[in-house]
Order: sequence, then structure tokens, then C-alpha cells
Amino acid sequence: MKTWFGHFTSEAHAESVEATVLIYDKIIAIGYRDADASNQTLHWDIKDVEANFDVPSQSTQIRKRNEPAKRLHIEGRAALQYLQELQAEQNKPWHKKDKTKDKVKYLLGFLGVIGFFVGLYFLLVPWLAEKMAATVSVSTEEKMGNAVFDAMRLSSEEDRPASAIINEFFQAMKVPTEYNIHITVVKSDVVNAFALPGGNIVVYSGLLQQIKTYPELAALLSHEFTHVNNRHSTRSIFRQLGSRIFLSLIFGRFSSVTSVMIDQADRFKSLTYSRALEKEADLDGLAILRERDIDPEGFAELFQHLKGAAPASSSPEFLNSHPDIDKRVAYIRQASRNSKVSNNETLQAIFEKLNDK
Amino acid sequence: MIITTTGFIEGRPVQEYLGIINAQSIIGANIFKDILGGLRDVFGGRSKTYEKVIEQAKSDALRELAEKAQGVGANAIIGVDLDFETIGGNASMLMVIASGTAVRI
Repeated sequence: MKTWFGHFTSEAHAESVEATVLIYDKIIAIGYRDADASNQTLHWDIKDVEANFDVPSQSTQIRKRNEPAKRLHIEGRAALQYLQELQAEQNKPWHKKDKTKDKVKYLLGFLGVIGFFVGLYFLLVPWLAEKMAATVSVSTEEKMGNAVFDAMRLSSEEDRPASAIINEFFQAMKVPTEYNIHITVVKSDVVNAFALPGGNIVVYSGLLQQIKTYPELAALLSHEFTHVNNRHSTRSIFRQLGSRIFLSLIFGRFSSVTSVMIDQADRFKSLTYSRALEKEADLDGLAILRERDIDPEGFAELFQHLKGAAPASSSPEFLNSHPDIDKRVAYIRQASRNSKVSNNETLQAIFEKLNDK
Repeated sequence: MIITTTGFIEGRPVQEYLGIINAQSIIGANIFKDILGGLRDVFGGRSKTYEKVIEQAKSDALRELAEKAQGVGANAIIGVDLDFETIGGNASMLMVIASGTAVRI
């Protein structure tokens, strides 16, 4: 904005009156005192006025095109120059105007930055996290897992005889690994099992009761074993940590509403990872069965037990940490085509001990 | 019109005092600018985006002050003071308040 003193003439006044003039953006604002001492302000649009330099009075003369009787005089050329600059700016095509150029630059710069960070979030951060997870030693994982296991133990009751049999069964499967796998059967109606980093696996008796054949047990144990052996928990922890740190660096200063939205978005991403890991546990577990000629149908039957126990889920797959059961059955059956199956008497015998007890 | 932070204008004594006037301009930098500004916070250096925003807010406040002065029939504003504040939950909005005494010289 620039300001001047000027003189304003109109048909209402006999002579010109002193006026204050503000010129900014697209407006000329003129303020003056009327004959009856009242304050008046006029606003003229820059595109409606014409201005010229009046040589005799050495002043800039401005008037509205359709109201030639109203005139504004300002000493010197400065006002004329400024006005002409503004009018020229107005006449430029939109993409050349100063403000628009800035806006386009902003938008492009912003998109570039966004693209860069999206790339980081989806590519670099997970890669880094996996690298770091790989540096965690087996003994550290064991300490982590044991700490959690000990905490859980206090609130649950172990079925020792069953645990001993299951451990014997797993040993008989002779799966090579650097981890000490220790399986615990917990007395509970829950139909589930899970693995902790470092080698502890927990199987709830509710699930065990559903299992009728030894291939199913083999499938369950090899699935959980894969979670341990492929370090799924540890990798998940590092990936989630990495994502969270990255997001809070970028978005830290936002309100709680935005934080919640960002949190949820991040969670969706971790669910995708989680489903991928479950699939890996299924397929690598299947490979363990195939290497030992154990019937892969054990997997399919195991899934049916899980399906039976869980209430019909109305939430869509993308909200779940596990792939949809029917899909699991499908890809397992697909992967287990042409498997050789032979009866493993040792495993059969150990499994039967479970029924005897 | 003369707008000045001084309490008087050399050679032009005040003829009439027309009251205290003020104007404020509150600007939220948009989310794009906030993110770019946030990056500047991480990497260091001048933030041209926010600087432009403050400049805009200041110009708007002064312009409104001038218009108010015209409205009361003043041809000068003396004793102009500019105040810069942040408001909003996250200190995310910038506010500039311009105040002064409208006079006729």
C-alpha cells in the first residue's frame, strides 16, 4: 500500500478539497471532508480509472472513466508510476501474475517434497528398520521374549504334561534352528496360539482340544516356529518404531485431531505388514511340513478350527492383522499341490499320548 | 496520509485529535506452508514461507488502520504500534495488531 495527500474535485464542491489517498491491490481509497464537515470515503477500482500527468500543475491526475467530473490530483509522478505498475499487473494473463507464479511454485515445491517423504516412508524407513532388526542378536531376542513370557506366566496356569508332549513332538520334527524352542500349553478355553521373540511359543488348551490329527499339530507348530525363526515380532517392532519416529518428526507440530488421523493411517500400513508376515508363516510352515512328507491338509483343517472359534467377522480383511481364513485355505491348498505324503509313525505315536492323558 | 510510529510529525502540528484506532490481521499459514515451515525447523535457516505470511499480515493490518483513519476523517496516524502474536491451540495462527492515534494535521 502507498499513501499520498491529494486534492479531490467533484461537481458537489465549488473548489477542491484536501484528501488522503491510499492505493493498494486493486483499489484507490479517497478520504476527504465534505462541505458540511462530514467524513467521506470513496473506493475506486483500478481498472475503472485512467491516470495521466498534468504538466501545468506537475501532478498526477486520476479520474474514473464513467464519472469524469470527479478528479483526484496528487503532486509529482510517483502516484502515476505506481498506478501504472498496478494496472499492468492486472492486465497480465493469470499465469504470469506475480501472486499466481508464487502459488504455482509453492504447489510444485510442495508436491515434490511430499513425493520425497512418501518415498522415504514407504521405501527407506522399512528397509532401514529391517536392517536394524537384523542386527538384534538371538540372545537379545531371548531376553525380550522371556521377559514377556515370565510376566504372562504369573497370570495363567500351565498344563505341564501336555507341554512336555508337545515339546517332544516338536523335537521329533527335527527342525534345524539356532533358537531354543520351548512350547508351553496354557489351560484356557481360548482357541489360539502365539509366538514370542527368542523361542517361547504358547498354545492354549482350547485350540489343542480341537486338533484331531498330527498333521494339524505339525502345521500349528511350524507356523509358530516360523514366526520365531524369521524374527517376525522383532521386525514388526522395528518397523512400527521406525514409522512412528519418522511420522512424528514430520508431523509433530499438529493438533491432536491430525495426530489421530496419522496414527490410524500408520496402523493400516502395519496391518498390511502383519498380514504379509502371517502369510509368510503359513507358507514357510508349509515348506517344513512338505520336507517331512507330512500331510499339508493339516493346515487347512487348522484354519477351519480357528474359523469355527472366531465369531463371524463383519470387518473387512484390510482391518485385520491376519489374512482372511478362506484366502489362507486357498493359498495353502495352491502351494501344497503335488505334495508327497507318508505316515510318520513317531509323530503319530507322540500325538496319541495327548489323547491318552 | 502520513502513517508514523513517532508521536508527532515534524513541521505539521496536530490540528485535531480523532481518537485511537486499531486494526488486526490474523493469518493462518495454510497446511502446505506449515509443513514446509516444519521442515525448516528440522533443517534450520530462514523460513521464507512464514516470513511472507507475516509480511502479508502486517500489510493488511496497516492498510485497515489507514482505512479506519480515513473513515474518521483523519489525514495522519501518529504513535503507530505494531504487535505480533501467535494465537490458536498450537500457536499456529499469526496475528498482527496495528494501533495508533488518528489525527488531522
